[in-house]
Amino acid sequence: MEQPNTAIHQPIRLKIMAALKALPTSELLEFTRLKTIIGATDGNLGAHLATLEESGYVEVQKDFVRKKPRTRVRLTRAGRRAFDDYVAYLREIVEQAG
Amino acid sequence: MSVTNSNAAQSLDEVKRSQRRSAVAYGYQKASPHLILWGFIWVVGYSTTYFRPQANAAVWLLLVLLGITAGFWIGRRTAAEGSRTHDWRLAASILATFLFFVALFTIMPPRSGLQVGAIIPIFFSLCYAIGGIWKGGARFVLLGLAVGALTVAGYFWVTPYFLLWMAAIGGGALITGGLWLRRV
Repeated sequence: MEQPNTAIHQPIRLKIMAALKALPTSELLEFTRLKTIIGATDGNLGAHLATLEESGYVEVQKDFVRKKPRTRVRLTRAGRRAFDDYVAYLREIVEQAG
Repeated sequence: MSVTNSNAAQSLDEVKRSQRRSAVAYGYQKASPHLILWGFIWVVGYSTTYFRPQANAAVWLLLVLLGITAGFWIGRRTAAEGSRTHDWRLAASILATFLFFVALFTIMPPRSGLQVGAIIPIFFSLCYAIGGIWKGGARFVLLGLAVGALTVAGYFWVTPYFLLWMAAIGGGALITGGLWLRRV
């Protein structure tokens, strides 16, 4: 990879992808939990998730639980692949320098 | 756009940290309903054993079966789409635990019901603590230490009321611990 993947390169989006990748395949993570793990605000996280969703890397599911809205997120197959490629790209840079 | 070596190393560290935090939070989220469930089972089981000792075996058998069934139900309800790996892991864990206690009580037969009532919670406390140490879940370690210490304290210092102690303090600790794990 010559250039970094710009959708993942942004630090908050990288954290989102990393946090979601740590879960079993097709496991959903609640927005509020993701917010705590990442340490982001509602608006910030929402905006970055929208970017990742547009890129096809995450899937956002919205529903209601006991009349309360719930938003859950998970990585898509393309997202897993893109994240793996990006981490490999970072490792390559570190290894080349070392 | 170019990424320097130090930026790349920093990003990889951040990836590791986020993955670790996420994995720990996931473990807490999965364990929470099981801890609350078994907390209630301890409350009912130990208090029934105290007030109706003659019904002890039947009550515990019923409660353990109920707990296992509910455990499978919770596992299925909270599993990722299409995932059934939880089922065999839970079944294998139950079988391994059962065989452990059969072996333990055969080799070292307990001299009283209180010993059984103390050693089983201590075993599970150990499991929480070791699981927490290996998975990096500090809350599991604290919970294991708390439940283990409370069990030992109750066994030696409040012996006549140990069963009530385990119902209120042991069961209460599991329920509180389960609720605490949800707050991530």
